Amino acid sequence: MASRILALVGDCYGARGGIARYNQDLFESLADGDVEILILPRLGDATGLALPRGIRQAAAIFNRLGFSIAAFVAAWRFRPVDVVFCGHVFMAPLAFAIARLLGARYWVQTHGTEVWNDQRNLTRRLIEAADMVSTVSRETRRILLTWVDLPADRVRVLPDTVQDVFTPGPPRPGFRESLDLGPGPVLLTVARLSASERYKGHEPVFSVLQALREQFPDLTHVVAGDGDDRARLEAVAAKLAPGAVKFLGYVPDADLPDLYRTADLYVMPSTDEGFGIVYLEAAACGLRVVGGRGGGTADAIPDERVGAIVDPADRKALLSTIVGLLGQGRADPTAVEPYRRLHFAAAARALYARLVAQPRRKKSGI
Amino acid sequence: MCGIAGIHAYLDVAPPVDRGELLRMTERMAARGPDGSGMWFTDDRRVGFGHRRLAIIDLSEGGAQPMQADDGRLSITFNGEIYNYRELRVELQAKGRVFKSESDTEVLLQLYAEHGAGMVSRLRGMFAFGLWDARKRTLLLARDPLGIKPLYWADDGWTVRFASQAKALLAGGAVPRDPDPAGIVGFHLLGSVPEPFTVWRSVHALPAGTTLTIDATGPHEPVRYYDVASALAERSASGRHDPAGARSRLASALHDSVRHHLVADVPVAVFLSAGLDSGALLGTMADLGARNVSAVTLAFAEFKGLPLDEAPLAAEVAARYGARHVIRTVDRAEFENDLPALLDAMDLPTIDGINTWFVAKAAREAGIKVALSGLGADECFGGYPSFKDVPRSVHWLRQLSWVPGLGALVRRGLSGAIAAGLGLHPKAAGILQYGGSWAGAYLLRRSVYMPWELDELLEPSVVEEGLRRLAPLSRIAAALQAGTPLGDFDRVATLETSLYMRNQLLRDADWAGMAQSVEIRVPYVDPFFLAALPPGDVLAALGAKDAVAEAPTTPLPDSIRYRRKTGFSTPVGRWLRETAGESTPQSIDFSVASRTWAQSVWRAGWLGPTAA
Repeated sequence: MASRILALVGDCYGARGGIARYNQDLFESLADGDVEILILPRLGDATGLALPRGIRQAAAIFNRLGFSIAAFVAAWRFRPVDVVFCGHVFMAPLAFAIARLLGARYWVQTHGTEVWNDQRNLTRRLIEAADMVSTVSRETRRILLTWVDLPADRVRVLPDTVQDVFTPGPPRPGFRESLDLGPGPVLLTVARLSASERYKGHEPVFSVLQALREQFPDLTHVVAGDGDDRARLEAVAAKLAPGAVKFLGYVPDADLPDLYRTADLYVMPSTDEGFGIVYLEAAACGLRVVGGRGGGTADAIPDERVGAIVDPADRKALLSTIVGLLGQGRADPTAVEPYRRLHFAAAARALYARLVAQPRRKKSGI
Repeated sequence: MCGIAGIHAYLDVAPPVDRGELLRMTERMAARGPDGSGMWFTDDRRVGFGHRRLAIIDLSEGGAQPMQADDGRLSITFNGEIYNYRELRVELQAKGRVFKSESDTEVLLQLYAEHGAGMVSRLRGMFAFGLWDARKRTLLLARDPLGIKPLYWADDGWTVRFASQAKALLAGGAVPRDPDPAGIVGFHLLGSVPEPFTVWRSVHALPAGTTLTIDATGPHEPVRYYDVASALAERSASGRHDPAGARSRLASALHDSVRHHLVADVPVAVFLSAGLDSGALLGTMADLGARNVSAVTLAFAEFKGLPLDEAPLAAEVAARYGARHVIRTVDRAEFENDLPALLDAMDLPTIDGINTWFVAKAAREAGIKVALSGLGADECFGGYPSFKDVPRSVHWLRQLSWVPGLGALVRRGLSGAIAAGLGLHPKAAGILQYGGSWAGAYLLRRSVYMPWELDELLEPSVVEEGLRRLAPLSRIAAALQAGTPLGDFDRVATLETSLYMRNQLLRDADWAGMAQSVEIRVPYVDPFFLAALPPGDVLAALGAKDAVAEAPTTPLPDSIRYRRKTGFSTPVGRWLRETAGESTPQSIDFSVASRTWAQSVWRAGWLGPTAA
């Protein structure tokens, strides 16, 4: 009989964003290894989607109470459950209770800011009760272990994986023209334009564009993504670098590989990335990248074959790094190979095997 | 005895092992191994080992490390000595295993090939090693049963690193220096950092008597293969409670242990104090035919003419057993001169180790590479006041401690009175609150500061988090878990052996000895020796210390046997006060000295960028 996972997540199939993508990658990797997974999301509609074998996703319920009741009912029907997967710490109380009710192992997944900022006592104790905690980056793990009392061996890192569609090569014919870009070099940033995510580093890049244009008069900074901070950022760009920034708004996933292939350098000096999968996607398409010091960026920019990490507050360093990398041509895509799906799936399955090899925990633990 | 280091990039995304980092780690431990150095990497650079060698057994290149066996399948970097390696070698040869060297290191590799990780329970000696199994793609880290040899490790989620010294891990440059409140509080409470903590959050001590396996998913939970409480419980259950013959059993166990600890291809000396334990070692060495043994004694100018001066009585013992006696006098000027180097060599903050630093220095100056030490005898034979104080406290105060809030109330009242000049030691205020439980009474006996005093020394947030993570009383109580109840003597022996001796004495003997490139061997710290001794209740009734004096065929002189116990003391407290320009009392108050010294050590700066 296949091993069974009950997954409580914020979103997965039928949703956009890095965490939804990560969950899909993880569950597909585990389902390949003969694991049956029932996903209980709060967002996302998977109606009509052909989910991989072994994976089922219930209808999303956003309301907390409704979600909790439905989760208990679904969990009871899904017995026997080997593992309860908690995709976000805000669901930890529910995941913990269901895991103990069913005598299942309790797996907490963390991504970044949610465990950097929420350091309440209850959260700490719910994380400490986990049989395994996985994080996407070493930095998230390091920060977590500064305030949570878990043995180091129980907190494992499972980094994001790069989709196979991200490969080097020219953009499809007519793509660049469709963006109406000039002949000069193109800097690219792909990120949500959210007021709560100003750490992404758009403004530091805007602030060095004028200086860059002294060396590259036709240089353009392409900003992909949308959000509640877009109008403000457009105003800042118009003031700091008039005519140098092109806002594309939301770009469909299918167009991202061509967008990366069109650009000359990926620039996102973000200081709070949980991981920064976009850096790897860009590098997989042959782009060199500039990341920001802080957060999990160092995990996505492992060495100089991919790019460089700078402190966005140091404008001179940012400027010289951009100029330097623009002169180096394309990145070495082999540097991204360890992040490909094959490696991710093997690591995920090994981690799962390790978890289910542990005896079930009887005591409450908190 | 050596310095070892290693890096294993276990996750595919981790960069290959950086040779420069490994070199920085091993160079930080240069003093541990002045006779040679080596590095080894797998072809794919996912694993790298470094080694600094102090050659003791098989001085040829055949004993060089890191070493490989089984057609390159197994590789090891090893620190320590395996005293029963010859017996194990014969056993393995009988099974068809072929050896290329005369070293104990190769025995470890072949033994692993035969038994896997379980081989550690066959080893008699002191050891810490990293062993790479290329077929299984696993790294095995192991540490000896009682914690003689240290091993520290760090895991960032992609890559695991290990080394003989915590500071070597930091020197590599890739391990973060986030402070660990548990280790910081532990040091202030106990004068040493209790394992598995260090003062850095990312650096862990591998607990004594455990192994740690790292596979493609990273480090697993350490697996315990030995614990003192269970070993003493087993000894007690052995049924050898008949006092007749206990003395001869003790003498026989000591002879057997010393004989094993003399295995070396270089001369073995002894650190000789005016106590029974080291004298009995020297006498036993003489029984075993060791000739012209060098015996090193430390003396302090301040103690001349006082009972604390160990030199005259030690000279008497040395003469009795025909040893070459080296007396080394240390004064304040030398202490001050050595202090920066001493603090640099100190791997984790500790209030002890100064005596070992100087006695090892004297040994090195005398050309000695290996010396036996009497460390551990007090834990075996009930030589500390704690063997009387702690049980008495528990038996007297247990019922009072059940009255809710009474202990805390009395403590607050007494603290105020003591602060107002009552003339008691500040710790005395906690007698009712702590003295009624084994863990509490032991903490009270061994602590430098008590928990309620820490807020005056450290940030309250550090104290709060540190106490929560450290959970000192639970941690002490956990050491006593043996499945079957222990007697009073064995309870204290367990606590002293698995806490004070391990975290303080053995760690200090390692860093202070190795800083002078001197291997310190401890025949009283040996699971085989412990198991061979009579049970704790028999030892307690026997007056084991007296029996130790009679263990050599020629017993120790009466002047040693009936000397009042002083402990091995240093005038550091006085020197520190003099250096600070404070007045020096006529008598030497060692408790205050340890508090003064603890503060001086902590102020040396453990959390800054220059700590390693």
